[in-house]
Amino acid sequence: MSPRYTDLQLDALRELANIASGTAATALSQMLAREVELNVPRALALPLADAVEAAGAPGETVSGVVIPLEGDIEGLVLLLIPLDSAETLCRLLGVEAGSEVGDSALSEIGNILGTSYLNALAAMTGLALGPCPPHLSTDLLGAIVASVLAATAGEAEMALVMDSELDVAGEPCSMSFLLLPTAGGAGDLLAPLGLAETAA
Amino acid sequence: MGELKVSRARDGELVAIGLGSCIGLAVVDGSACVAGLAHVVLPDSQGVNGPAAKFADTAIPEMMASLRTVGASKSRCRAVLVGGARMFALSGGLDIGARNDAAVREALALEGIEMLAAATGGNRGRTVRVMVGTGEVLVQEAGGDNFTLLGPRRPDARHARPIRQLKLTGAET
Repeated sequence: MSPRYTDLQLDALRELANIASGTAATALSQMLAREVELNVPRALALPLADAVEAAGAPGETVSGVVIPLEGDIEGLVLLLIPLDSAETLCRLLGVEAGSEVGDSALSEIGNILGTSYLNALAAMTGLALGPCPPHLSTDLLGAIVASVLAATAGEAEMALVMDSELDVAGEPCSMSFLLLPTAGGAGDLLAPLGLAETAA
Repeated sequence: MGELKVSRARDGELVAIGLGSCIGLAVVDGSACVAGLAHVVLPDSQGVNGPAAKFADTAIPEMMASLRTVGASKSRCRAVLVGGARMFALSGGLDIGARNDAAVREALALEGIEMLAAATGGNRGRTVRVMVGTGEVLVQEAGGDNFTLLGPRRPDARHARPIRQLKLTGAET
């Protein structure tokens, strides 16, 4: 059965995403020594194809960093960095974009964002949550997001997407950060909030 | 993801942008100038209700039924597969792309549909375009080449055409 989410549940998830991505933005800001702005996070329950569209243009080339979750919740976090933003990030960190070191730096950004996001989420919910090592692929956005969704939400009709947009101030640099729990994982995230019951 | 379209528009083009582990399943009836394209996400429906084209086992019967409505004849239909890549080498993760590839081939064999060409596997995303009028199938690999996976229909060469199978790896060819 496909889970459905009530407005109350989505509001609660949005608030979790808001606080957790605020923590992640602070971590990125410290790493880059730049101000990082956080746009209003979203929590969306969407059919799979729409979830891909919500993440961006499927034909755009992006760097995607996947960080599978370890602990009480099944799912993964996905950091999507457009090509020009990836170049900016590498420049800010003093490494060459597109090189092995550049890719490693992007993975590390994913790791730091993911860890701080998950730590904040764990603190709020009391769940044990941690990141697995990151995996990077620079490819078509559609290929990255659809493959990740197939693995997490594949059998359900609806995917839960919690995303936030991070902008590095004064630089042409933005990225989106997505938490993609499995259908079961979303329920586990809502349970500590007393909102586990899914709508009929 | 899970979409299916068939067309008999001579100037039509069916496109699936950004296939990763998913399979773009193209089926063409060159003589009737009709074609279909499905975006298959997972290998096995396991009895789950969902869009039929989302699962390999249910996508092929659905494709053939839809193609019949636009005038295709099953005996003339030929299939082409694109996608099934492994985008991330996740430890312990199952290779959904390879399982999709195998499941679609098996379902085609079960239905008795010949597969003419495939650009599957590897670790790059792909975009597939099917030219409805000519039966051409064009593939674009992320960061790589554009190539013609299936050429335009030539009635005299139809039965002589060898099965062409491109197993693509990450390397450019």
